[in-house]
Amino acid sequence: MRILEFGYMQRALVACTVVCAVAPLAGTFVVQRRQSLVGDGLGHVAFAGVGLAFLVGISPLAGALALTLMAAGVLVRLQRGGLAGDLSLALIFYGGIALGYLFAQRSGAGLNTLLGFLFGSPLNLQWPTVAAIIGLSAATLVVLLALYGPLVSLAFDEQAARVSGVPADGLVLALTVIVGLIVVGGMNAIGLLLIAAMMIVPVAAASQVARSYRATMGIASGIGASSALVGLTVAFHADYTPGASIVLVAIGCYILAAAARQLRRRRRPLTAATA
Amino acid sequence: MRAPALEYDQVTFGYGRIPVLREASLRLLEGEFVAVIGANGSGKSTLMRLGLGLLKPSHGTVRLFGEPLNRFQDWGKVGYVPQRASAASTVPVSVEEVVRTGLAGDLGLLRRPSASHRQRMEHVLDVMGLAAIRKEPVGHLSGGQQQRSLIARALVTAPRLLVLDEPTTGVDADARGVLRESLEHLVHVEGVAVAYISHDPEGFAGLADRVVELRAGRVVVCEDPTAHGHSHEMDARAPSASGERPPS
Repeated sequence: MRILEFGYMQRALVACTVVCAVAPLAGTFVVQRRQSLVGDGLGHVAFAGVGLAFLVGISPLAGALALTLMAAGVLVRLQRGGLAGDLSLALIFYGGIALGYLFAQRSGAGLNTLLGFLFGSPLNLQWPTVAAIIGLSAATLVVLLALYGPLVSLAFDEQAARVSGVPADGLVLALTVIVGLIVVGGMNAIGLLLIAAMMIVPVAAASQVARSYRATMGIASGIGASSALVGLTVAFHADYTPGASIVLVAIGCYILAAAARQLRRRRRPLTAATA
Repeated sequence: MRAPALEYDQVTFGYGRIPVLREASLRLLEGEFVAVIGANGSGKSTLMRLGLGLLKPSHGTVRLFGEPLNRFQDWGKVGYVPQRASAASTVPVSVEEVVRTGLAGDLGLLRRPSASHRQRMEHVLDVMGLAAIRKEPVGHLSGGQQQRSLIARALVTAPRLLVLDEPTTGVDADARGVLRESLEHLVHVEGVAVAYISHDPEGFAGLADRVVELRAGRVVVCEDPTAHGHSHEMDARAPSASGERPPS
């Protein structure tokens, strides 16, 4: 495979595949809680973090991580304080993009540099950044595995989870922080505006064909990783932008899965088992 | 002598300035079946949410198994079936997975279900008639099967108190029959205390030891469980703590 002969493609393949395999695992809980836009909201705050990093002269990854984690805490506090989910997200969303643009303009960061963070530039990754991406993804995976049972309970029915003694407030915060880690982890590879799609679209596709929560997570993770591999390959051969190609392949998977579900329904009409 | 499972003592609650419950007192004994009825907005669900610690009263005290709610830790003793028309979810979830979510509080982090947990899961799947469809996604099941999945989840920790909020919503007549049988088994064989919230008396007729009605945030006791139209406003503590069940 010619694609593997190039070091920049090797690095892009590793980083994108890892991020796109882990993102849907957290996305399953986010989709279930009907908070599909939370990744988008935090992505905009991460953009503010990148702008701030340029302004004060620190690593963009560190700037994005600091502001995103802070925003995750603020978001949970706003929602706990009674502000409707979409309204609190909108505040974070618009505040992030406004601050990001302000910081970036003040720091004099070039448009191409900023576009690289917004839409990803996996072909420019160096091994230390790839290692950081793998580290963030691994941390996310470990936390998700540790919290799997309580998170399923919370996502399925928050009230019943609270009554059964699940520490729901802490878990909501943990899930929001995990989403923040994935956003920052995927920033360089997929882009701040596109990484949220890799949390949601593979889950939407897997939900069409899976019959259990665990299967949905497994299939979604597989779709995420495959989309990264196929998307990057297509981008390499057709000279397309990598982040957009990956997301479009994932959307293609959703269309195929939805069509497969429709076909299955036509062949075998859905009948509820008798009570 | 039976101990109280759930006690409300002069509980008052409101959403903002809108009062929902006013000085409500109620006692549910272990092994007792109490039906809570009332019109929409009368405060039935609020009463139960206060009892489960999902809301905090502005005045008064709520106790679970003798402990004030802020000190109560043994949540495995409490099972809750919230009001919802369906157990279907955005992400496919199997019956088995729904039931296992009931163990999350008991297991905490990293602990896997023990042999006794698995045994209990088998038991509730069996009792609720779900064993054969345990791998099915709940969204593919009938309303009755979905509701039984939620009840099985509430029972998986072997609770001593079961709170059901409008459990027959979206459930057909056959499934209501199965639900009745299951509740009879729980109360009479397993000795579970049941708080059953409903606006439909058919669901608990012949099962309830007492019927409590909420009217404009006040607790009104119906003296005769089979004819709850005859009632008077009063403190709705249990008639006696002697453990005697009225004849049904």
